Amino acid sequence: MSKYDESFAYQNFDTILRQIMVELGVSRMVTDFRIVAEPDAPYFLISLRLGKARTSVKVSDMGIVDSSPRGAKITITDENWAPALLTRLWQKYGRDSIEQLTRYELIVIGASDEELMDMELDPGEELRSKVLDAVWRIFPEGFKVRHNLMNDDVMTLIGTEHDMEEEWIRTAEKIHEEMHHSKKEAE
Amino acid sequence: MYEVLLYDGGVYRINELYELIEDVGGFIIQKTQVQVQITVTLAIPEEEKPAIEAKTVELGGKLISVPLAGTEIAVIAPTLARHHMPHPTCDIAEQLRRAGAITIVMGLARGKGRRTSQISADEIAIIEEYDAAVFVLGNFRDCILEHKTKLFEDLEVPVVVVCGPEIESLPYCEGLICGVGRKIERMRREEEIYKLEEISNRVEEVIRQKRYELDEDPLFVHPAEIKDRIAELDAVQRSLRPAPIVLHLDGLRVKIPYEEWKDQIADVEVYGRRLGDIARISNSRLGNSTIIRIKTRAEVESG
Repeated sequence: MSKYDESFAYQNFDTILRQIMVELGVSRMVTDFRIVAEPDAPYFLISLRLGKARTSVKVSDMGIVDSSPRGAKITITDENWAPALLTRLWQKYGRDSIEQLTRYELIVIGASDEELMDMELDPGEELRSKVLDAVWRIFPEGFKVRHNLMNDDVMTLIGTEHDMEEEWIRTAEKIHEEMHHSKKEAE
Repeated sequence: MYEVLLYDGGVYRINELYELIEDVGGFIIQKTQVQVQITVTLAIPEEEKPAIEAKTVELGGKLISVPLAGTEIAVIAPTLARHHMPHPTCDIAEQLRRAGAITIVMGLARGKGRRTSQISADEIAIIEEYDAAVFVLGNFRDCILEHKTKLFEDLEVPVVVVCGPEIESLPYCEGLICGVGRKIERMRREEEIYKLEEISNRVEEVIRQKRYELDEDPLFVHPAEIKDRIAELDAVQRSLRPAPIVLHLDGLRVKIPYEEWKDQIADVEVYGRRLGDIARISNSRLGNSTIIRIKTRAEVESG
């Protein structure tokens, strides 16, 4: 433990992490987090539990797919997914092959409707990159030696300035494990 | 001792104010005219303030105290990266500007980290050109007390430190303000605005102290007296920079290249003497600028 009282730092990190998560729109998806900073060691550890399991969503869950003379037509029924769907389609077929007829209607030139119906979107990827962005914003800049633990719903990152010690990694693993079993924070 | 004030009023009979300032032995530091409105930054001997106040009332203007006018202050953070949250640094610089100072914001090249945080000799030399330095530090008491003091221990200019945790005292600094820390947004809340005022008040005290020290062994001339003469130089008149001449407590920064203009600057006549004889003229570390440090009266007379 540090010989100094670091309560200000803990409180400040707690506040800024919450503020950043609100700013990035991920505060409802992060159900619990823990920050452990040991300036004496020194290491900085942050562990977050993500609320929604990152299940993938099929195109047929967010829109109606029909065949069309030029390829396939998608009528979007859940607009929340539209940006993610467009990004995925652009990646796979290229921008020239996607024609946006109206706000809800898309033509994918040269694609078959079966192929599109089975296409999957991964919402977790976007969530994870946003949460990581929040983490990088508060992580001390000089702590460049890092170790990450990540699985489906918990991510734990530990960073230090010089050599990473085994003991700290074990602490990180312990906290990572505890986060899996921690109670869901009241929202 | 000189007091710096800001006159805000109309152009009507403004010449009477200029004459009065001259009569009481004061100087005009800066004039900004927008149509019929004019703001004048002026320096007068502090005992003459009532006369200026009376004139201001007569002319229907306002007199605002700008305690930091005529100073240039550096606000320094270990880094200006997003991680270090530059918001408080910018807010502090803005607050000091409102009090009349010219400020710069500076991030150190290798300032980040705990034990790895460092300041280079070049950076120290740049900071030494300013009248005071404000260091904006972070959250951890351990980090500030054990590792960050080395950033400013070699500085000769007065240092004010702003940090997060409550610390009773810190070596090598003239002022310490706690309770700021890292922030992800501008300092807009009531308590934060009070905190900014507290910081600028502390900087004012430090500057006032430095002015008293200078008064004990007074400068040969006040920097404002030289300003007008240097402003007549061709290069200064052609300069497009917003403030080509910046006043310091003990001299001036003239934003024209040193190598090209050092002789002309040294030849400027001040009260029958060459400027080169009554001041030290040197190249600024920031490039394309010249630093003039005025010698004290004792130095000039003995030399």
